[in-house]
Amino acid sequence: MSDATIPSKSIELRVLRYRPASDREPVLVSYRVAYSDDMSVLQALQSIKDTQDGSLSFRWSCRMAVCGSCGMMINGEPKLACNTFVRDLAPDAVIIEPLQNFPIERDLVVTVGDFVKKIESIYPYIIPKVAKPVEDGAHLQTPAQMAAYESFSDCINCMLCYAACPQFGANPDFIGPGAMALLQRYNGDSRDGGRQFRLDQIHGEDGVWACTAVGICSEVCPKQVDPANAVNQNKTNSALDFFLHYVQPRSQP
Amino acid sequence: MRPTILHHPAPKRSVAPVFWLLFGAGGMLSALFGPALIILTGFMLPHGWGVPANFSDFPHVLAFVRHPIGKLVVLAVIALFFWHGAERLFLTLKDMRAGPPLLLRLMTYGVAALLTLVTIALLLAIGF
Amino acid sequence: MSERRPFHRPQPRHWWAHKPYLAYTVRELSGVAVAVYGAILLAGLICLWRGPEAYAVYRRILSSDAAFAVHLVLLAAMLWHVLTWFQILPKTMPKLILRGRPVPQRQVTAIALLVAMVCSAALLVVVVAIGVTS
Ligand code: SF4
Ligand code: FES
Repeated sequence: MSDATIPSKSIELRVLRYRPASDREPVLVSYRVAYSDDMSVLQALQSIKDTQDGSLSFRWSCRMAVCGSCGMMINGEPKLACNTFVRDLAPDAVIIEPLQNFPIERDLVVTVGDFVKKIESIYPYIIPKVAKPVEDGAHLQTPAQMAAYESFSDCINCMLCYAACPQFGANPDFIGPGAMALLQRYNGDSRDGGRQFRLDQIHGEDGVWACTAVGICSEVCPKQVDPANAVNQNKTNSALDFFLHYVQPRSQP
Repeated sequence: MRPTILHHPAPKRSVAPVFWLLFGAGGMLSALFGPALIILTGFMLPHGWGVPANFSDFPHVLAFVRHPIGKLVVLAVIALFFWHGAERLFLTLKDMRAGPPLLLRLMTYGVAALLTLVTIALLLAIGF
Repeated sequence: MSERRPFHRPQPRHWWAHKPYLAYTVRELSGVAVAVYGAILLAGLICLWRGPEAYAVYRRILSSDAAFAVHLVLLAAMLWHVLTWFQILPKTMPKLILRGRPVPQRQVTAIALLVAMVCSAALLVVVVAIGVTS
């Protein structure tokens, strides 16, 4: 298109704003932005920040759906703002809110501390099956062994799946889809020996058992990680572990 | 174990796997045979379609339920179907915030447990 | 500027009645129909235990139009349960890797649905066969 870079059309963005120092509760504030066909919602927000209200707060970094910072609710759906184009939303007004189910720090910025703690709790690193000194060479893996976990390693920690999960909305302590995807990324890795440590972290009421297999988490995931698969296959694993722990009691790690 | 691992205390284990497995067993049994069972006991047997008219006569059905295998089939179908429905109803009622979880559990799992016992008692009372 | 006062937005109370969660709620309630059908069978068992008269009443009720309609509704719910059950099945399994590639989940669902149809058909065939030979 000839007008690809020359803004000629405009769109209304209604942004849910919350300024903790002055607002008692979040309020929708309307902005009108000129846009071109190649403009993302993130760029639209940046143009508001640059030209209309410098106090508008939101997170971003990579602008290319890699860092996972720019998750927000766009017309009620959790999306990456850098991956969502204004042209697909026009001409109606677009409602932009912070990610559902998370406390709002300020405007579109939500609290991520609990999510980071959950990730830490599931040992997000390879615990080698056998210690192997560097001089003994690499841990080998066949393509099939890699395919078993590879898609789970695509998670960018954007938390869109958490915003889509009603069980996380009802119980903020639920380990949730994203952390489970990461858990499966390691438990599914043929080089890893930490499976039992991780299973021990998720066998409680706030672990896999808080999930009711709603499945929308997998639909909103921008990286096709399929976190619902990670959670639900670990129900099977956790159930087996439940009965096994009577048969062969283990010492707690 | 390995000194490099920073251990996190494990949370308390949930008993949910027990209910989940009963739910799963009922779900799988009904998914595989449920449609045929409904067609059989809801349409074919009451109306004599495709089966002899005396097939659902009292002595026939009694003989089936008195047979040990018949008893097992009846118990598995009734009890597991109840446990399946109980889990799903419990979760949905919880989603709807229909009441305190303990009450919801009694209304669902409690009923399933009770009716399982009733089924067992009936199967025993009917004799062999 | 540095004041921290996180705002907690409550979860909408009726989230389960709205898109995209409504399909999930319907799926769960289709599982409740499974239990309702179990209750009909249990009622039959109770009548069987009470004796021929009670059992005759049960049979009369089951052959009524109302019972026919109820079973039609239950069958529809049961079929929905079957479909959705096998749609979730691949979510509860580890990834199937064939020749180094993950098998698409749709394929797993399709095969499981086929198996289910064979199981149900086989049960009916067996019953009819017993009827013919007896
Ligand atoms: S699983 Fe998908 S939606 Fe969830 S945090 Fe990872 S990339 Fe985001
Ligand atoms: S800015 Fe990095 S994912 Fe959007």
